[in-house]
This record gives sequence, structure tokens and C-alpha cells, in this order.
Amino acid sequence: MKKNSSLYVLFNGILRENPVLVLILGTCPTLATTTNVFGAFGMGVATLAVLICSNMIISLLRKIIPDSVRIPCYIVIIAGFVTVVQMLVHAFVPALYEMLGVYLALIVVNCIILGRAEMFASKNSVGKSALDGLGMGIGFTLALCAIATIREVVGAASFAGIAIPFLEPLKIEFFVKAPGGMVVYGLLIALVGRLTKGKSPKKKDFTCVGCPGMSFCTKSTCNVKKEV
Amino acid sequence: MKKSIKSLAVLIGICAFVAVIIALTNSITAPIIEANEAKKSNEALLEVLPEGGSFDLVDISEKQLPESVNEVYRAANGGYVVKLTVSGYAPGMVIVCGVNSDGTVSGSKLVSSGETPSIGGTAAEKFKSAVIGKTISDIDTVDTIASATKTTLGYRNAIKDALNTVVILGGGEVDLRSEEEILADNLSAALPAGEGKFTKYFFVEAIDGIDAIYTADNESGAVCVIGEDFIGADAEGNALTECSEEAAELVKTAITKVNSTIMSEIDLTAFEGLPSQLISAKLTESGNYVIDIKGAGYGITGGDEYHPASGEYILIRVSIGADGKILDCLTLSQAETKGIGDACANESFYGQFDGKTEESYNEIDAISGATLTTDGYKKAISRAFESVKILKGGN
Amino acid sequence: MEEFKTLIVILMSSVLVNNYVLNRFLGICPFLGVSKKINQAVGMGVSVTLVMLVATLATWPINEFVLERFGLEYLQTIVFILIIASLVQILEIVLKKFSPSLHQGLGVYLPLITTNCAVLGVCINNINDGYTFLQSVVSSLGCGLGFLLAMILFSGIRSRIDETEVPVFFRGVAITLIAASFISLAFMGFAGIVDNLFA
Repeated sequence: MKKNSSLYVLFNGILRENPVLVLILGTCPTLATTTNVFGAFGMGVATLAVLICSNMIISLLRKIIPDSVRIPCYIVIIAGFVTVVQMLVHAFVPALYEMLGVYLALIVVNCIILGRAEMFASKNSVGKSALDGLGMGIGFTLALCAIATIREVVGAASFAGIAIPFLEPLKIEFFVKAPGGMVVYGLLIALVGRLTKGKSPKKKDFTCVGCPGMSFCTKSTCNVKKEV
Repeated sequence: MKKSIKSLAVLIGICAFVAVIIALTNSITAPIIEANEAKKSNEALLEVLPEGGSFDLVDISEKQLPESVNEVYRAANGGYVVKLTVSGYAPGMVIVCGVNSDGTVSGSKLVSSGETPSIGGTAAEKFKSAVIGKTISDIDTVDTIASATKTTLGYRNAIKDALNTVVILGGGEVDLRSEEEILADNLSAALPAGEGKFTKYFFVEAIDGIDAIYTADNESGAVCVIGEDFIGADAEGNALTECSEEAAELVKTAITKVNSTIMSEIDLTAFEGLPSQLISAKLTESGNYVIDIKGAGYGITGGDEYHPASGEYILIRVSIGADGKILDCLTLSQAETKGIGDACANESFYGQFDGKTEESYNEIDAISGATLTTDGYKKAISRAFESVKILKGGN
Repeated sequence: MEEFKTLIVILMSSVLVNNYVLNRFLGICPFLGVSKKINQAVGMGVSVTLVMLVATLATWPINEFVLERFGLEYLQTIVFILIIASLVQILEIVLKKFSPSLHQGLGVYLPLITTNCAVLGVCINNINDGYTFLQSVVSSLGCGLGFLLAMILFSGIRSRIDETEVPVFFRGVAITLIAASFISLAFMGFAGIVDNLFA
């Protein structure tokens, strides 16, 4: 695949640079909303929608937005779309709205979105940015669903809220609790590392890569980053 | 400078653009969200009043309703749903209660509470089915559930308030005053000079025809209760309230008797074999005894030992006439379980002993759910009779 | 007295029982990222606590007196994030000017906090839980302290990880997450402590 083809951009987010399992971005929603496949899928789609919209708008305005105020601009645009998505979900899927609660609003501070705006949308065309958003969003959704499937089936003996009776006596509630989420996530990251055998981009350490501020604090005194 | 103005303009422009998008979306979604919420709350109301149909919020700002009532909905079929906040084990128990148009409870639901889920929560579930079909007249017959008495008591009060609310909204009248408030209002009406502060007189002499006497704390007079009537009188016993001559005579005699009562303290050490629970005994000129005695309630187990649950005796004052009848009985202090055994401090309990003899005192009704308290109380009364016998024998 | 009890309960529950990082998964990024050394952990924790407090002091009144009064609740997310972003900027400038030594210590962490979900999370949760102003302040203080506590404890664990032989594919993020799960498991032991605080 050519490095600049549209397909490459799309699949980049789904596989090679999967935001959750490879880039380790957006850990908070990943852990918090994966107790139920339905919630995880909803979170994924909501994030996907915000990601595509914000990527497109930011790419569209990339020549207008001055460098000095770009971060506030990005935040305003992202927060705007998050609010729109929040209202739509509240109106049309109230069950999901209740399940996700505060995490829906917290899409604003999801590292993936601001990260993609800064790293990709601000440098690429509208079409490509949309594809990048789509790919990243699908990658995010798939990873969330994978984690949620493991946690829900093992931990609650159900799938997307539908009970699986024969697993009932075998369920291990630990997995739907907070620490269980961390264990599943950690194991999946290790598994992906094993499968890609290091072919994927070298797994960056958390310090600044895993941090949303990383993308824009390059010019500030980010000593934390330099230490790594 | 020019650059920063441009930056600012762009930022403001983006803000405006975003604001427009949000406002647009809001104008589309707001009605849907509102409709959803209305539907949801309607479903919650239907849960407690299944045949209600649709519901309208009733304006209750002008109505005199029980304090616990938050919201009232009128159903299409004439029933009501009342939302109330009462105190259970913890304050802030929110209950929704449906009432059919005939005044029976159609259903209820514990919406939120600070109750212990495993105890209060399950008790509320059980209690919920027990109150269905009850009306204002028989709601008190629903027994509270042991181990979650406070929760169920709170629940019952909520249902009661809901039923009262429906009566009031239906145009009926409900006396929302508590018994104490009614008494206080009656006393003040009979003797305004008493300034609302009265103490119930403890009978040490038999006074025929008078049910109760309340003396004003500022010694301005007393109020005699004859049947339903409250008759105020000055310190000398002259009736101030309009009443029949007969009643005025009764009051005069009563107050004179009260004023002239002389009691002498009996030296308990001069007697042998008195119960150790006896604290003091007094003798009137007419040969009546006034006994202060300790009773072992729930707080104290069989052997009169302190029980850490409350750790205090029930202190009882009882006057026994020369004819062996109880003239009056009063709980001076107690530390029984709140909401259960502490009913022994209510006149409705100890008033039952009036006129009883050594043979008949055992007939009185026990406090529901507080057998130990009642038993301890009766035991103390029996010891009072025993003491009187010894004191008389010694004379 | 009742009010005081409520405040204590809110504090204890936000520090221990509903710890933002370990139980609600808010602020995981800095928790995993900046907890390698204890001084970094303390710096980040203190900065987060500070920003949470200041953000609550600003967002609660704005929500109460502006957004709710004019029926603009739907602007909550966007207004809050802008307030937090500006506050962080202002805080950095103020610290730089008036307390260079403190800025030296905390300054590097401040830009990272703008998009820390724990800060926005605590502001929104305070409103959603219907806390009064005082309760909100106590709650954000508790969340910040809980974050600080988790950071300090975790930096201790991470220094141990550095000294062990970790299977190659677990190195880095994976083993860090699994270690974090143990500390989260330990914090689950606090569940129920608040219910019996005044029992």
C-alpha cells in the first residue's frame, strides 16, 4: 500500500496505529465504558462522529486558524461537536446517554481527538482528514468492543446486555470491576505487541505520547518529555 | 498587533460558528428530550397507578398539605400520584404513591433512599405489597417489618400523608395537626393566661368527673378536661370558660382539692422487704400512695442488668388510691428504642393503667413490637402494688 | 453538624472509595505517564489538585448563576473546558510571575492538565451530583488528594517494576496497566467504609 493513498490513511488508524492498542490514547474512556458491549460501541461511534467532524472542520480551517490560538480554536470546535453529539444521543438513544453519563461529555478531553487534530488534520486535506478520522474512529470502536466483549462475557456472563445463561455459574465479576478492566487492557496491549512483533510503530512510552498535552506542549517547557 | 487582532477575530468567529451549530441542534433535540423525559416520568407514574392513563401536575402551592409532599399528579381516571420525601433510617427517602379514585393505595415505589440496600431495601419491597388496597382508615394496621422498623415506619407515614393529600385535594378536611398540637391549641384556647405552657397534673387524689387537669406553668390557673370540654380556671378554681354550673362546681372542687393536697415522704428504710427498684414513696392525707419506681424495659434484660442497647431504666410514677385502684400513672424517663419501645412514654400507653387494680392491670394492650418494654413496665406496676402492701402493713 | 458530617463523607468517599483514577478511570493518562518518579508524581498530583480546586471555584458559580439562570445548560461542556483551559493559562502566568520557585516545580505539569479528564470530570460531576458550593469545593479537594495519593503509591510500585525482569511484550504500557490494576484492587477494599463512618 502506498504511504499516501486514501486506503493507507484509513487502515492506518484501524490497524497499524490503532489509537487504543498501539498509540495508547484515550485510556480513560477505554477503561470506563467497556463494562458493556453496547456502551462501548456507543462510546466508539460517538467518538467516531466527533472525530470525523472535528477533523474535517479543522482541516478546512487549517489555513485560517493562526498558529498562536490554534489550541483554543481546536478545543472550541471539538467541544462544540461533543455537545452536539451529546444532545443527539440524549434525544435519540436515551439509554446510552444514561449509561455513558459523564464520559460522553469527556469525549472533549479524549486525547485521540485533539491529538489527530494537531498531528493530522492541521496538515492534511479535508478528504484525507475525514478518512483519518474514520479510520481512527473505527479503530477506537473496534478496540473498545474487543475489550468490552471480553469483560462483559467473562465478568457478567452477558453480551450487549443479553444474558448468556450457561456461562452464569462461571462468571468472574472481577472483570467488570475497575481493576479487571486494567488487566484486560494490559493483556491485550501485550498480545498486540506479540502479534505485530514490533513491526508496528515502536510503542512509545506514556510520558508525553500518552498525554493529550503532548501534541502542543512541544514549545513549552515540557521537561517531562525531554527526560524520556 | 495586527496579527493578534486577526487571531482574536478567528477565535471569536469559530466560537460564533460553534454556538450557532449548538443552538440549531438544541432547537431540534430539546423538544425530543423533553418528550422523552415526560414519557419516562409518565411511565414511572403508571407503575404505581397502572390504570391512571395520562397525568397532569397539580398546582399545590396554595394548598395546605402534609409537609412531606413534593409533587402531586392527577390521573385521567381520577386517581392521584403523590411524590413525597420522608425520613426512614436515614433522611431523604423519596417515595411515589399512587391512590385510586376510591381512596385506596394502588401501588407505591421507593424512588431513592439512603437505606441499607440489604435490609431497608428488601423491607421496602415487602412493605410495598402490604400497603396495596389500604385506605386512610386502615393504613395503621399494616405492621412494620422487624429489623427495618424505621424504614417501614417512614414508608407508612409517607403512604398516610399521600392518602391525606388525596382527601384534601378531593375537598375533604384532614386535621394535619399532631395530637400534641391539638391539645396545646385547646389548652391555650381555654386559658390564654397560661401562655401556652402547661404541665399535666398528676392525680394523687380521686377527683370525680374530671378527666385531666393541666396546670399553667406560670401559676395563672389550670385547665380541667371534662369529656370533650376544656374548662379554664383561675388559681382559686373559678371557671373562666363558659360552661354549665355543674361543670363549674366540679372544677372548683377539683382545683381546691389539688391546692390543698398535702403529701408526706415515707422513710423507706423503716420497712423491710421493699423491692429494690422502689425509689421513693409518698402518702397523702387521704391514704393514697404515690410511688416512683424503676422498670426494666428492653434496655435491661431479665436480671435487671444494664443492656448496652439503651442502658437505662424506665422511671415510672404511679399513684394508688386507698381502695387499691391506680389513680394515675406517668412515665418520667425512659431510653427505649426510638420509634418502638419509646411509645411507653406516650399517654396512650400509660393512660391505660388508670383505674386498674392489682387484679386487672395486666389486661392493658402491649406496645406493638415492644413486648419486652411492656413486660418490664407491667412488672414495675406489680412491684408498686407490692410496695404499697408492705407500706400499709408497716403502718 | 449534619452538614459537617456530609462534608466528611464526601471527602472520604472521593479520596478513598470513588477514587477518580482507580475507580472512575478519570485522569489515567497522567497517572500512567507521569508516575515514574516520586517527585514527578507529587508535582503532577499537587498541580491537578490545585487546578481542580480553582476550576470548581470558577465553574460552580458560572453554572449556577449564568448557565442555569438563562437555561443554557447545554453549553456546559464547552463553557467548562474553555474555563479550565483559560484558568490553566492564567495559573501558569501567575505562578511564573509571583512564585518562580513553585513555577519551577509545577509549571511543567500545568499545560498537560488542560485536557486532563479528571479536572473536567470533577466539575461536571459536582453539578450532576447536586452538590452545594461548599460540598463541591470539598469534593474537588478530595478528588485531587485521591489523585495525589494514587500517584504517590503508584510511583512506588513502578520503581519496583523497573528492577524486575518483565516478559518482553509486557514491557512498558502493558505491565504498568496490570500493576495499576493491583492498586485499584487494593482500593476496592475501601468500599463500604463511608457507609459506616458515622454508624
